[in-house]
Amino acid sequence: MMKAMGPLSRRRFLTASASLGIGTIAAPYVARADDPTLRITGWGGKWGDIMKAEIGPAFESEFKCKLQTDSAFPYLPKLQASSRSAPIYDVLHTNSNEQWAAAEMGLVEPKIDPKLVPNLADVYPYAISDKIVGVSIFTSAIGLGMRTDKGYGGVTSWKELWDAKYNGVRGGYVIPVNSLGQAFLMMCGTLFGKGQTDLDAAYAALEKLKPIKIVDFTGAMEKMLLSGEVGLCVIHDSGIYRYDGQNQPTDFVSPSEGVLSLEQVLTITPGSKMKELANAYVNYMLRPEVQKRLAETVWYSPANKKVKLDAKYDAKLLTTPEKVSKLIQVDWKWYNERKDEIDQRVNRIFRA
Amino acid sequence: MSTAASQRPNGLALFILPSALLFALFFFLPIGLMAVMSVLTGNPVVMPKVAFTMRHYVRMIDDPFYLEVIWTTIRIGLVTTLVALAIGYPLAHWMARIKSRTGHALLLMAVLAPMLTGIVVRTFAWMTLLSDKGVVNQTLMSLGLISQPLKLMYTETGIVVGLVHIYVPFMVLTLTGVIGRIDERLEQAAENLGASPFRAFIEVTLPLSLPGILAGSLLVFALAISAYVTPILLGGFQIMTLPILIYQQISANFNVGFAAALGIVLLIISLILVIAYNRALGLVSGQRELQ
Repeated sequence: MMKAMGPLSRRRFLTASASLGIGTIAAPYVARADDPTLRITGWGGKWGDIMKAEIGPAFESEFKCKLQTDSAFPYLPKLQASSRSAPIYDVLHTNSNEQWAAAEMGLVEPKIDPKLVPNLADVYPYAISDKIVGVSIFTSAIGLGMRTDKGYGGVTSWKELWDAKYNGVRGGYVIPVNSLGQAFLMMCGTLFGKGQTDLDAAYAALEKLKPIKIVDFTGAMEKMLLSGEVGLCVIHDSGIYRYDGQNQPTDFVSPSEGVLSLEQVLTITPGSKMKELANAYVNYMLRPEVQKRLAETVWYSPANKKVKLDAKYDAKLLTTPEKVSKLIQVDWKWYNERKDEIDQRVNRIFRA
Repeated sequence: MSTAASQRPNGLALFILPSALLFALFFFLPIGLMAVMSVLTGNPVVMPKVAFTMRHYVRMIDDPFYLEVIWTTIRIGLVTTLVALAIGYPLAHWMARIKSRTGHALLLMAVLAPMLTGIVVRTFAWMTLLSDKGVVNQTLMSLGLISQPLKLMYTETGIVVGLVHIYVPFMVLTLTGVIGRIDERLEQAAENLGASPFRAFIEVTLPLSLPGILAGSLLVFALAISAYVTPILLGGFQIMTLPILIYQQISANFNVGFAAALGIVLLIISLILVIAYNRALGLVSGQRELQ
């Protein structure tokens, strides 16, 4: 026999409302509580926006999982502090120099298994070369960024950065903390010495580069260039091209000596409990349609050879074997072994 | 019976227990761990074989670069403290002595207003003023007073300007309370006995406000030598201080042991300076309890 419901008291109404509210808020979490979670790292800005809005949700939906992204740099110290058997990340996305350091410390697996990531078969050779730990899913070209409204004329060579006319408007990076700065140091060895590893020639060249305005992140350099605080600087192509269509008086120069490669690398942590999902994620990020969408949003050159970009992007990004052959990769293993020594020296060089 | 009563736990002690636990957990434990990490070859939690070493400290002593960085950090801290004191003392004195309630409220608002904005925002504001394309240089150039931008940023002076702006309120608020408690009749008595207002200030007000000067200076000095954002933005990475070096070691070199050793050195230097400053001021003011 059903008990008759009493009149709706204020207490009962408030209890019911609170239960309904909590239930509504908690429902998505309860429903997905059993979904496996893949913990990854990733950049903020436009990369973060599109990953959050499109690429990430599509992966979650297809693989019935949750993607938990840490975009609070630096990632490696956090991974370093976490347990090897239960690492804080399953997939580490960062630049190549850090990936090498992570691999040296045993924090990431040095190679990706092509049997588990079939799309590896379609990447350009640079993306899985002996200079790469894991796989490079995208690359940018490090070259020179310049103001086009200052009457500097055409710039064609890296060496023009040393021209005295750029004193006061020359831009570079804090070498100990920035991949572009470190790659540029190696380029100095090539330009003025016997090769990338000629550190004495590189130090001498950096000494002659002063006065120079230095920043820690490329985002800061973009702002300095846009504001006119610097007129010629080391920058990656994405940092210039992402302002395409905004009529900014800036342009990217691919120096005749070649452009340096700034790789976006994925690796998997050895202690990950989500290996299958981690490999699926790497494979997913190498899919042509995912690569195209990301490349056309953030102006990174895709690593997958099969990607066909729209004409506007195809004209500027590294999308053919010929263009890719201009990329100069840095021997990060060699660099990291000498990083302390290099840091001490460059900190002295750029001290005011 | 009185012995039993004295052995009974004090009820007030129970109120102190949570804060004591909090202090132990978030202050002493991290510093202790940092000290231990500074003499280990690696992190014992994640590395199987870890040994004791003094190599991080030896590295600091062997390379004069690190000693120069330590001196730069102390120098910036001292100059910031002195300038903040020079600006903050008159302001604090005015605030403490002003009769008008409205005037006091307005002064308090003026001192507190900058604190309502974040340090990063305030530092960026200084960058828009001091950079080559900033307000100061552009104004001077448009007036024809200079042909090339003045080097206002990427210098120690630029850093000190930014730090002083951020930390002056700490000095003022500390000093105002102390000066406000000084009996004005003491100054009046000195003047009645023939002292000029300046001499009355030097011989009466200033010595009595020394505890405030001490507290405010220590606060500003401690904050200035541990500052990261302002030195990095206004120094343009060309002025290396200990906090910047520590961050570099953790974020880019992944050398937690050396970073910990640098942190311990920073702590020891601060403690030595605090003790020395305390002792010196105690001797000058004759307030032995400060020692």
